Amino acid sequence: MAEKIEKVSKEKAAKAEEKAPTREELEKSFREYSVAEFFKKNRQMLGYSGKIRSLTTLVHEFVTNSLDSCEDAKILPEIRVEIAQLPDEHYKLVVEDNGTGIPKKNVGQALGKLLAGSKFSQRAQKRGQQGIGAAYATLFAQITTGKPTKVKTGLGDGKVYECLVSVDVKSNEPSITDEKEYAGKFQGLRIEAEYAEVGYNRSEYGSYEYLRRTALANPHCQITLVEPDNQITVFPRASKDIPKKPKNVQPHPLGLTTSDLMDMAQVTSARKISSFLVSDFTRVSAEKVKELQALMPAVDLERAPAALSWAEAEELVKNFQKVKWIAPETDALIPIGEDQLEKSLKNLLEPEKLKVVERKARVFRGGIPFSVEVAIGYGGKSGQQVNESRKGELVRFANRVPLLFDAGNCAITEAFKSLDLNRYDLKEFETMPVTILVNFVSVYVPYTGAGKLAISAEEEIVSEIRFALMEAARDISTYLHGLAKAEEQERRRQIFFKYIKEIAQALEDVTGRKASALEPKLRKIAEERTALLEAQEEGDPDAEAALEEIEDQFEEEVKNDG
Amino acid sequence: MAAKKEKEMTQAEKAKIIDAKIDELGKLLVDEIESGKNPHLDIPIRGSGNVFYDEKAKQIMLGDKIAKRYLFNVAHARRFMQTLLVASYVKKDLLANNLTATLRDLYYAKKHTIAGTKEDTIDEQKESDGAIVDLEVSLDTFRERLHLRAEPKGRMAGDLKVKDRVRDKVDTIDLSRMGSGGWAVPSIVEQIEFEDSAIEYVLVAEKNAIFDRLNEDEYWKKNKCLLMTTAGQAARGARRLLQRVSSELKVPIYCLTDSDPYGWYIYSTMKYGSMALAHESERLGCPEMKFLGMSTSDIEHYDLSSVTIKAKEVDIKRAQEMKAYDWFKSKEWQREINLFLEKKLKAEIQALSSKSLQYISKSYLPEKIKTQDFLP
Repeated sequence: MAEKIEKVSKEKAAKAEEKAPTREELEKSFREYSVAEFFKKNRQMLGYSGKIRSLTTLVHEFVTNSLDSCEDAKILPEIRVEIAQLPDEHYKLVVEDNGTGIPKKNVGQALGKLLAGSKFSQRAQKRGQQGIGAAYATLFAQITTGKPTKVKTGLGDGKVYECLVSVDVKSNEPSITDEKEYAGKFQGLRIEAEYAEVGYNRSEYGSYEYLRRTALANPHCQITLVEPDNQITVFPRASKDIPKKPKNVQPHPLGLTTSDLMDMAQVTSARKISSFLVSDFTRVSAEKVKELQALMPAVDLERAPAALSWAEAEELVKNFQKVKWIAPETDALIPIGEDQLEKSLKNLLEPEKLKVVERKARVFRGGIPFSVEVAIGYGGKSGQQVNESRKGELVRFANRVPLLFDAGNCAITEAFKSLDLNRYDLKEFETMPVTILVNFVSVYVPYTGAGKLAISAEEEIVSEIRFALMEAARDISTYLHGLAKAEEQERRRQIFFKYIKEIAQALEDVTGRKASALEPKLRKIAEERTALLEAQEEGDPDAEAALEEIEDQFEEEVKNDG
Repeated sequence: MAAKKEKEMTQAEKAKIIDAKIDELGKLLVDEIESGKNPHLDIPIRGSGNVFYDEKAKQIMLGDKIAKRYLFNVAHARRFMQTLLVASYVKKDLLANNLTATLRDLYYAKKHTIAGTKEDTIDEQKESDGAIVDLEVSLDTFRERLHLRAEPKGRMAGDLKVKDRVRDKVDTIDLSRMGSGGWAVPSIVEQIEFEDSAIEYVLVAEKNAIFDRLNEDEYWKKNKCLLMTTAGQAARGARRLLQRVSSELKVPIYCLTDSDPYGWYIYSTMKYGSMALAHESERLGCPEMKFLGMSTSDIEHYDLSSVTIKAKEVDIKRAQEMKAYDWFKSKEWQREINLFLEKKLKAEIQALSSKSLQYISKSYLPEKIKTQDFLP
């Protein structure tokens, strides 16, 4: 499914219509087979497996929609999530935002019709990628409790609209009842629904953790969570900067496969291969085409793109690697940003030490730009809380969306596992207060499955994440090293000073020399020696020499005595 | 000559010398502190790296390697402090009051929590015991001179009168009138004096049971000897007393142990000294001692093979180690150890009782002594 969407999105709008039947076919299949049946079959794929995970998926669907809605309208998101336990192991979920709201006429389309979203026809970096989430949530409530989803929305025009939505499973058309419209100031969207076959806890797969991580990656939003035990947690906003709006991009020549190139050559509106390269790709100029031509004089680039043979396409792709390209446009990528990540981690983790690494954009596969951000926080509230202590955590994100599941198959986990933790003083990672945050940023995230759980471990991606992790970990290592050294020096100080009183008293007992006279002198020697040793550890050659001299002096004295 | 002079010295004079030595040690440290130096102690290294066998003196001796222990050194500081605590206790509490104390007394006297910390000056007694030995070697003296005593162990019986003193009170003890238990050898024997005696040799057994058997058989009376038990590995008091009997009464000393590596090692410790207390060999060793039995060849010779015990892995290992020791290099001992390694059999002295209860006193010992069937 992901592949089809990728192909659709690659094409220009006019051409996209030619491919549209794919989507219609899908919708037709929903009509032909029972939608409910389709859901049951694909439930797992969509994230509805396991009670805890099912609830987290529901929260995820609504919260990502809320965040996208706010960003589109440049609103600072304020999201409130309420989870309450009802009898018979039913749960009530309420998600309310202050976004744009949904126009009355679109409510059914957005929440009661599967695959009706508009996001998947663009190649832009968005959180939701397949436009099926919210309607599935409606369907899930319907299937597990038989109840419709209650919607309240306002556009900020003084009118509030409320209704109950469900999916007509036979026609995949929304069914709307109990409509109400009244005057009010409410702007945004409020969803209230009842589900069964869901569960809540504070594990790393639960809604709490999902929201905590969402807050980490979205410092511009404020999230309030009311848990079933009525405990209220606010993840406060750390920054008022709303992320830039993502824009559509063309593929970059690096990383393009022969088959990608062939596909594109067949559908382009350009008349020559040379102009096709310039018009359909980013960073390809007439000069670069000349460079390419010089590299492959036997191939006539002035022919029609449709005439490009497989062998020629192959040679082109090979030569793409030999030309020096300007890096792909990074403004198509919306990273959280160094500054924002720093604010966010300081806000939520209050770490003793923080390092954020932003890497330049790269491409993978068919010239798809991506970038990696890594932030490591040490100390404070970093790490996952386990009872009274904290343990190291690797928190994964794709375009700011937390990835909670299937860590084992993820490029981020693979990159992390490839690190030699010893080298970075993170050997005890499992028991250290450390949060390692990795955000994979791209207009197209190569998920391992439609459930959007893990990023496919492709070589370029893993290696880039690895470099980013190493860069950040080096800094943390230096800090931890310093801590260890400071600890060692403090221990030495204590050892040097703690016996002074005992020694002075013993010497008074033995020689009659007053302890009160010896103590300050011993302290002074301890002080000097500590300073000398610390200087030596800082690499001061004078201190090194001074220490050697002192020890030598003793050596000689002993010899003379003997 | 120094020894003779020392012998004539009174206890008070001896104490004065140690007092002065400790004083000198303290003054050196104070001088270093006053001139801003990292104070240090010179402590002869103990342990295999600095221990050798002096073939001429027949003693295990300490070499001349010296370790410097600095106060302001992370690895040394605590032991440095403990050594000074021992020095202060010896000088101020023991010598000054003419008192002796056990190692455990010292441990409790100097154990306390260091002000401003949660650390004790001494955690376990073995720490203060170690510090005591450090002080002994750095003052070139021994524990008894520091008025410290170990647990007493060992008993004696025989036609010998000794004078002992408790502070100023002098007791004369007749070792022939000590009943079934014999005279308990004190932990410090420096003050003991021997009266003239007609004993012809000393028989020292490692086992209490043998002492009791021979005492009951009036072996010492019939054979004009002094009988002693060390009750296992010989205590310092017992070893020192043996050395003094040997040199002052000029009688031979014969040793009787089980026929196993452990017994033979007890013998070698009494004779040559030990690696752990190499610095004391000169004062505690008994180089003239001879090994009477039991040896592996005794098992065959006295037809004891039916009452032997199979050697264990540890016995074999111990024998192999001993075979390599310089003080077991005589051809007689090499032959015995090889025989043991070959037969892998041990025998207790009591194995002789398989013949008859009094076989040991009536046959085994007299025969061995008559034929001078000893090992060096």
